[in-house]
Amino acid sequence: MRRRCEDDRESITIMVDGRPLVARAGDSVAVALGLNDILKMRSSPAAGAPRGAFCFMGVCQECAIYIDGALRQACLTRVAEGMVVELRGVP
Amino acid sequence: MSYDLVIVGGGVHGCTAALFAARGGMKVALVERGALAREASGVNAGTLTMQMTRVALIPYALRAHAMWANAREWLGHDVGVVVCDGLSLAFTEQEAQLLSYRAGKRREAGAPIDLISGTEAKSIEPGLADGVLLAGHCRVDGFANAYLTGLAFQRALREAGVDVLEYTPATGIEREAGGFAVLTSAGPVRGKRLLLAGGVWIEPMLGWLGIRLPIKTLVNQLAVSERVQPVMRTVVGIANGLLSLKQYPHGTVVIGGGWQGIGDRERGGVELVPERLIGNARLACHAIPALRAARMVRAWAGLEAETADALPAVGPVPGIPDAYVCGSVHSGYTSGPYIARLLAEHLLGKEPSLPLFPIDRLLAPATGREGLT
Amino acid sequence: MGKVNKGAGAIADVIVAGAGPAGTNAALAAAASGLDVVLLDEQDAAGGQVWRKPLDGLNGLPETAELKAGNALRERLIASNVRFLPGRRIWSVSGQYRVDVIGADNPEFFEAPHLIAATGAHERVVPFEGWTLPGVIGLAGATTLIKSGGIVPGNRIVVAGSGPLLTAVAAGILKLGGTVAAVVDIAPLGAWLKALPALASVPSLLAQGAVWTLAIGRARVPVYRGHAVVRALGNGRLEQVVIGPVDAAGAPVAGSDAFTIDADCLCVGNGLVAGSDITRCLRAGHTYDRLRGGVVPVLDDAGRTSRAGLYACGDGYGIRGAAMAESAGVLAGLAAACDAGAISAEEMQRRAAPHRATFAARRRFSDAMAGMMALRPEQVRAIAPETVVCRCEDITRGAIDAAIAAGAKDLNQLKHFTRCGMGPCQARMCGDVVAELLAIGTGDRAALGALTMRPPLRPVPLEALLGDFSYSDIPIPEPAPL
Repeated sequence: MRRRCEDDRESITIMVDGRPLVARAGDSVAVALGLNDILKMRSSPAAGAPRGAFCFMGVCQECAIYIDGALRQACLTRVAEGMVVELRGVP
Repeated sequence: MSYDLVIVGGGVHGCTAALFAARGGMKVALVERGALAREASGVNAGTLTMQMTRVALIPYALRAHAMWANAREWLGHDVGVVVCDGLSLAFTEQEAQLLSYRAGKRREAGAPIDLISGTEAKSIEPGLADGVLLAGHCRVDGFANAYLTGLAFQRALREAGVDVLEYTPATGIEREAGGFAVLTSAGPVRGKRLLLAGGVWIEPMLGWLGIRLPIKTLVNQLAVSERVQPVMRTVVGIANGLLSLKQYPHGTVVIGGGWQGIGDRERGGVELVPERLIGNARLACHAIPALRAARMVRAWAGLEAETADALPAVGPVPGIPDAYVCGSVHSGYTSGPYIARLLAEHLLGKEPSLPLFPIDRLLAPATGREGLT
Repeated sequence: MGKVNKGAGAIADVIVAGAGPAGTNAALAAAASGLDVVLLDEQDAAGGQVWRKPLDGLNGLPETAELKAGNALRERLIASNVRFLPGRRIWSVSGQYRVDVIGADNPEFFEAPHLIAATGAHERVVPFEGWTLPGVIGLAGATTLIKSGGIVPGNRIVVAGSGPLLTAVAAGILKLGGTVAAVVDIAPLGAWLKALPALASVPSLLAQGAVWTLAIGRARVPVYRGHAVVRALGNGRLEQVVIGPVDAAGAPVAGSDAFTIDADCLCVGNGLVAGSDITRCLRAGHTYDRLRGGVVPVLDDAGRTSRAGLYACGDGYGIRGAAMAESAGVLAGLAAACDAGAISAEEMQRRAAPHRATFAARRRFSDAMAGMMALRPEQVRAIAPETVVCRCEDITRGAIDAAIAAGAKDLNQLKHFTRCGMGPCQARMCGDVVAELLAIGTGDRAALGALTMRPPLRPVPLEALLGDFSYSDIPIPEPAPL
């Protein structure tokens, strides 16, 4: 995933599984992860298969992961400085 | 052809009665307007608790609990039963008084409920919130996965040789020589004996026989979370009975307790009341704070039947030989299998081990039998 | 606005749910008639998915027709007296009418005698082996990344599926300087040629499609018509896409050669599903209409449903495309204004006339496009037994067929037998396909209807639902008899 336009927004840092990740203020968590080439966000609960963002508009729930301690949809959640993201979803 | 027994209504009562009657040698037909156990028996909270059961039903519920725990033996198919501890909580002095009184009455009736402190309750259920003043603790508790009920009974009834007519609404009953003809969308289904087991629809069914038995319809709201990390390991309720909460092995948490939605017998549960979903969820999160991080994914409503005295309608139909009724059992999913088996035993000529609940007490003498001629 | 436990709900004349082309136009039309209108949307800005607003702070995004249309709509909204409340997720509709939302600090609700449902469609993706791999995304999702973020979703991208989004997405990627490895269109060239006269009935939209197609040709992107994705391969993420030819009905051609394309991103979609969320929840009358994207409300020519005071417009309630959604929105807004007594029936007809004309003029185009996007039953029949259909619960075609063989005859029963549709997507990803699988046996898709729709309309974090409360706030009902 690559951004192909000018981006004047400030860079911020989020924590993803304990590692700092640079993101742009205003992006969703799903986009921030994708731009850092993190596509797999979680494993599916029944089969344990790798899953990532799919619909990017809040419908499919594939990107529901733990953000600041609660299950949230990464595609609908804006990044924030110091945000804690865990790459795990429903157990 | 004529069956030994025609049952109208394929919920947990109708199905259990059909199963035991067939195993006892009767030729049985079961008529159901939809799919098996898709109304109250399939959409209830699945709670198998003594702490919400009416005192008069405790002896039945205890025996039914044992049946559910051994469902694989008598039913032969899995309904996801988990046996665990149950807690009924009191957060205020008033609730503590209510709990002491109610738990005491249930204990007198045989339910093994102990009153314990909040600290003790927390050692049993580490997910509990602080601030519990008093808790009723019962080791005979647990839950089933209610939505598996229909599939389990469908397989069991097939194996027992019951003729199951799903998606076959009954529209009336005619009395005829040697029994009854249940009129259905697939034509008449004839039987020597008749059992009406239609949940909230028992009232119109008895009406076909000229019997007027008022049945109130409760519209119980329920909600479920998506899968979450383990947040609790017991069944949690509250002193006044308006919370039932437990986490299934796959991680979903079902929030119930009988908060009322909008609906009736004719239309079903047509609408959920958002404030009551919120209220029920607040109560649930007040009891188990870790639930706050979960998301609610579905909510629904199931119809529960209630007679004037809130006790079951189980026994012969007065004045109509060979016609029986079985239903309107408070917390009917918990007690249903045992009570319906009692009725099957009665039909098979055995002496039931506990008394039935004949409906004579509920029929007004002046109006109750006027349709008999 | 009303806060639960903190007084009554905010009262308005009209509530509009969804601020896309349909909903925003409905809100504007109703407000211009003098009504007090509350417009709710989950996103931060109006425009919906199709006219989605670029993120603030991004420069140099292509000036597209959609961007211009969206900006114009947003400017009209700002200039109006519509009470636009973005960032609100609707989770409950009830009564006559009450709309409950989360998104602010506490749960809120709004009440109005008129409710216009315009919540938009979602994408249908007919499952294939490997469609759950990270790197496989929806076509509609790709448009969001392109339009709002200036993002190309991969380094080597395969764009596959059906309908006009294929060319839109491929052209959008190229315009941003990205690489499209292939375009894979289930429709054969003949199907497009057959639709051409109808598409030519709206020259501006046909021209837009032609510009996209030319851009794809100029970039020498291979276009495989009459082909579909057979499977997606990769270790933990997408690495290869296998495609093969299909027949006119969309079924794979047996014994023909499939071939492999290296790609790190697959954008795939098979048209749109009209979820009809709000009208289903409120139990208005519905019908199954394959062309319109599923179970859709029965509407009169101004968007009135069978329930008084309830209106529907836009693709969420019948696929017609953005070009008609605008007109449908205006008509629904005028109908609400007329029914509320704000304008006379004559006034309504007068104002509605140009929009009815647009509606009529674009119908042929719209139907042709909807036809290209409609579900192809043969494609569903071809799903392999081991392929996951329900993504939430990892339920395969084989498991669904087994439940059907075990006697599941309706959608709710199939859900109970399999858990299919019980997950957090609430059957939006699988429901349309599962209904089609069930219909193979019953033979009557229309009779199957849809799963019962109830609140929450989307998953809601309990935390957001609870708001601030103390135990004594909870209106605990009377205890049950002992």
